[in-house]
Amino acid sequence: MPKVDYALRETASNLTRNFTITLASIMTVVVSLALVGASLMLRQGVQNATRRWQGGIEFVVFMNPNASQDQTDTVKKSLDENPQIQRFTYVNQKASYVEFKQLFHDQPELIKSVNASDLPPSYRVVPVNKTEKNIDQLGKTYGSMPGVKEVSYASATIRAVQELSQRLTVGIIVVALVLLGAAILLILNTIRMAMFARRREIEVMKLVGATNWFIRVPFMLEGLIQGVAGALLAVLALASFKPFFQSWLPNRQDFPLVSGFALSGRELFTIYALMIFTGCLVGVVGAGVAVTRFLDV
Amino acid sequence: MIRLEQVTKTYKGSVAALKDADVDIQKGEFVFLVGPSGSGKSTFIRLLNKEETPEKGRIFVAGKDIGELSSWKVPFLRRNIGCVFQDFKLLSNKTVSENVAFALEVIGRPRHVIDTQVPAILDLVGLGHKATSLPNELSGGEQQRVSIARAFVNRPLILLADEPTGNLDPATSVGIMRLLDRINKTGTTVVMATHDRGIVDTMRRRVIELDRGSIVRDQSRGVYE
Repeated sequence: MPKVDYALRETASNLTRNFTITLASIMTVVVSLALVGASLMLRQGVQNATRRWQGGIEFVVFMNPNASQDQTDTVKKSLDENPQIQRFTYVNQKASYVEFKQLFHDQPELIKSVNASDLPPSYRVVPVNKTEKNIDQLGKTYGSMPGVKEVSYASATIRAVQELSQRLTVGIIVVALVLLGAAILLILNTIRMAMFARRREIEVMKLVGATNWFIRVPFMLEGLIQGVAGALLAVLALASFKPFFQSWLPNRQDFPLVSGFALSGRELFTIYALMIFTGCLVGVVGAGVAVTRFLDV
Repeated sequence: MIRLEQVTKTYKGSVAALKDADVDIQKGEFVFLVGPSGSGKSTFIRLLNKEETPEKGRIFVAGKDIGELSSWKVPFLRRNIGCVFQDFKLLSNKTVSENVAFALEVIGRPRHVIDTQVPAILDLVGLGHKATSLPNELSGGEQQRVSIARAFVNRPLILLADEPTGNLDPATSVGIMRLLDRINKTGTTVVMATHDRGIVDTMRRRVIELDRGSIVRDQSRGVYE
């Protein structure tokens, strides 16, 4: 296939001709996508660590694992009838076990030693009035009911962590978007320069009847390669720095609240795939704008 | 082969480059376009391979109304039209044979076709022995031969030449004209814009004279004036 051969040769020579400017656009893609990836990881990590406390849940009423059905129903009825309670969900032992496995997925020996029947079923409660005093009062009411093992509260720390991660994520994403915009413009200009360097060839190609796509493909490929190369480097950087970042986190024995601040392989894969997709998109958009804007036939 | 019907082309903010032009050129004809600078010769040529579009009138090339041609089909129109220019438009980083091969490569001709066609066409223009030279190692006349080889290697139906001898001395020009004449004898329609009185007067072919965009004379076996 002379066409494929031609496209690859031209792309390679374009990439090396403007090596420094190509490097600049790749580096911008790397930095911006690494930021996107890191903030997604942070968000997912915090979400995993505070899974129990999402959606405004302020306290959890844990029943005794061996509480009678009667006792469980009484608590449910009381929650149902209390006007102070906005809503609540019941998590049975099976669901608790699934969540437990998620939280401690990196400690298989712990999971092995626990059965579903060892875990307490619980009510997760969202009160109407979220002042500390009110929550405290409600918690005490339910803590004294028969069959209830304990009531645990969403501590201020967890709220702070959640809020911080949310703000950090937004901030980082904004910076990353600006950088991605810069990356698109850089790729666009790199390709514009490549087209300028080849303007005589392009002129001749048009004269002898090369199709528009034949002329465009090497430039599109050039943009795509820059985007993908940047994304792959960003993934590589995050993957190799992950253990390093994780060592910063407080030891889970000292700080049980953030236990389970970890990402499953699947979550990581999704984040990496998203980064590579974004890299492709950035490259193709930059190159696409360049060829349609500056390669009129 | 080529027909213009009431074709008018005006560039922004200027007088008409071509006004109500009616021309009919048969297959295998050799036509000179003459007239002073700015009379519309280049516009005439640029309209034929759709580098420009007229705002009025219709242009037929090889039986097709090229005004109806969608933009993705324009390259295929151009494969039937070879172009030669005053400034050659050769690629300085490619050798003579690479320059000619390039024209076939970018329209997707297979390697074995390129490898047989290129030496053959270089022999035809008399540059078989300079195949590995770079354009700036050649004389002006030789460079123009390379550009003619590139325009003709794909055996187009039509050859457009915009002042091909404009940069050449009279003796060299004669050689180029002999070559174009030979190409014309193979059945290729040749349209050549020129200022060269001597060439037009010795060749005695059809002459179309333009003046400020209007066709003022269309004469078979004509002279420059």
